[in-house]
Amino acid sequence: MKMTEDDIRNMSRAINLDIPNSDLNTIAIRLSAILSVMEEVEKDLGLEMDEVDPIPPVYPHEEF
Amino acid sequence: MNNNELSYMSMVEQAKLIKKKEISPVDLVKLCLDRIEQWDGVLRAWITVCSEHALEQAKKAETEIAKGNYRGPLHGIPYGVKDQIMTKNAPTTMASIIEKDFGTGIDATCIEKLNAAGAILLGKNNLHEFGKGSSVAFHFGEPKNPWNLKYEPSHSSTGSGIATAAGMVSGALGEDTGGSIRGPAWANGIVGIRPTFGRVSRYGGIMYAWSQDTIGPMTRTVEDNALMMEVIAGHDPKDPLSSKRPVPEYSKLLTEDLKGIRLGLVREMSIGRELHPEVDKSLHDALDVLRSLGATIQEVSLSKAKYAVALQMLTSDVDVSSMFVKHWLRDRWDEFDYGTRTRLAAAALVPGSIYSRAMRGRALVRNEVLETFKTYDGLISLMNFVPPLLLDDSRETIHSDQDVGTRMFKSRRICTYPFSIANVPALSVPTGFTKEDVPMSIQIAGKPFNEEMVYRIAHAYQMATTWHTRHPDLGKTVGPALAKSELKFAGE
Repeated sequence: MKMTEDDIRNMSRAINLDIPNSDLNTIAIRLSAILSVMEEVEKDLGLEMDEVDPIPPVYPHEEF
Repeated sequence: MNNNELSYMSMVEQAKLIKKKEISPVDLVKLCLDRIEQWDGVLRAWITVCSEHALEQAKKAETEIAKGNYRGPLHGIPYGVKDQIMTKNAPTTMASIIEKDFGTGIDATCIEKLNAAGAILLGKNNLHEFGKGSSVAFHFGEPKNPWNLKYEPSHSSTGSGIATAAGMVSGALGEDTGGSIRGPAWANGIVGIRPTFGRVSRYGGIMYAWSQDTIGPMTRTVEDNALMMEVIAGHDPKDPLSSKRPVPEYSKLLTEDLKGIRLGLVREMSIGRELHPEVDKSLHDALDVLRSLGATIQEVSLSKAKYAVALQMLTSDVDVSSMFVKHWLRDRWDEFDYGTRTRLAAAALVPGSIYSRAMRGRALVRNEVLETFKTYDGLISLMNFVPPLLLDDSRETIHSDQDVGTRMFKSRRICTYPFSIANVPALSVPTGFTKEDVPMSIQIAGKPFNEEMVYRIAHAYQMATTWHTRHPDLGKTVGPALAKSELKFAGE
């Protein structure tokens, strides 16, 4: 998923964040990178992901 | 015994001398303060040093011990704490200039526990801004590796690692989300553990990665680490996610053999990768030592671990960014470091639908890690496929797609994030030094709440080797740079 500087500028409006032009390229690269891996994750694990709940592993009384 | 030997002595050995009244806590604290004064102009391991308060506490400890009121092995022992954890007697800066103090005038629970055990807080250790591990510039001076100033001291709980390695303190507390304790332990040649989530109270820490942040000790030996852990661990009503499980006396359960212990060597985080030759040799030497102690070692695959770095950035980073967008990013953008603000902003723009799917992916990575503990008592991996990087190469300056692989999905993160998002205990222990005299380490992980096993494996290894007896010769490594350290920073 390749994000552009314009994408970043537009998306940041949704959270009322005004990002200076000088930082847009770095943020686009960072967001593109993690979204691209997520595409791979979906291809590789998507069906398995449908079968688990997205529970953070923080419940302090689990048995091991 | 000279001052240098005393400074580098293990906490356990220092404690024996204090108990026998052969050294005074006052002498030990003064020695540490002198070393900070002498070397920190270059090493930049500290943001705030509480000299006066520490000396008062040392005198109090000296008096108590003289009267026969010895509280235990941490009585009179000086320690530091990452400046992300609140203390009454010093501001909590988070290495940021946005607020002078992010604290609320309290001691974190882990600080209360250490103080109650008689340990003496020397001050607050430098860190990557907000503990995010992505700083490019440092408001309180750039932390330096005491073994070799040209190389990185790793990221985040950096000052805690440097101060301990440089003998400025007997041990320190760090905070680990993705590797912030284990990384600086690796690069500075000391021991650092990320405990099971819920083992140590988070109360009083600024812990915005609410499902992953952990507090843990950084020490020169495994035994010291176990000792600090048994003091700070345990349930805390102020942290609803802390566990009520009893806390073992970890330091008394250490053994020097590993007979019957089954270890899994994680292929994707060790031999399945192209390794730096010195790292490769160091790993195989360490495996030979573990086998000689009686452990059996088999290769194991964690095929989903390769996704851990991105999954953390798509989940925990998002949790963190939600706090920063609300409070500071909108109106204090320029006061953040470039590395911190761009990482946080990217996370803030992750769509909710992706976040939720990434949480499902994270559950799968954890399940795969947990499954291995049905067969193995512990997992072994590298802390990194390469030794600590040159400082310039370690900075998170991302200007092109080529920087993503080397500076964002960096190899240290590939090794530490899988155990972080699984929330299992994981420890870094030194296994050698390169020709440039920078440390290398392996990582040992255990099933949730089995810190006891992790410590047992690491201690047996350490007792069979001598890496923990090597310490940086600061006169040689830091001395030449002292004259050039006249720069002043925001914290001064």
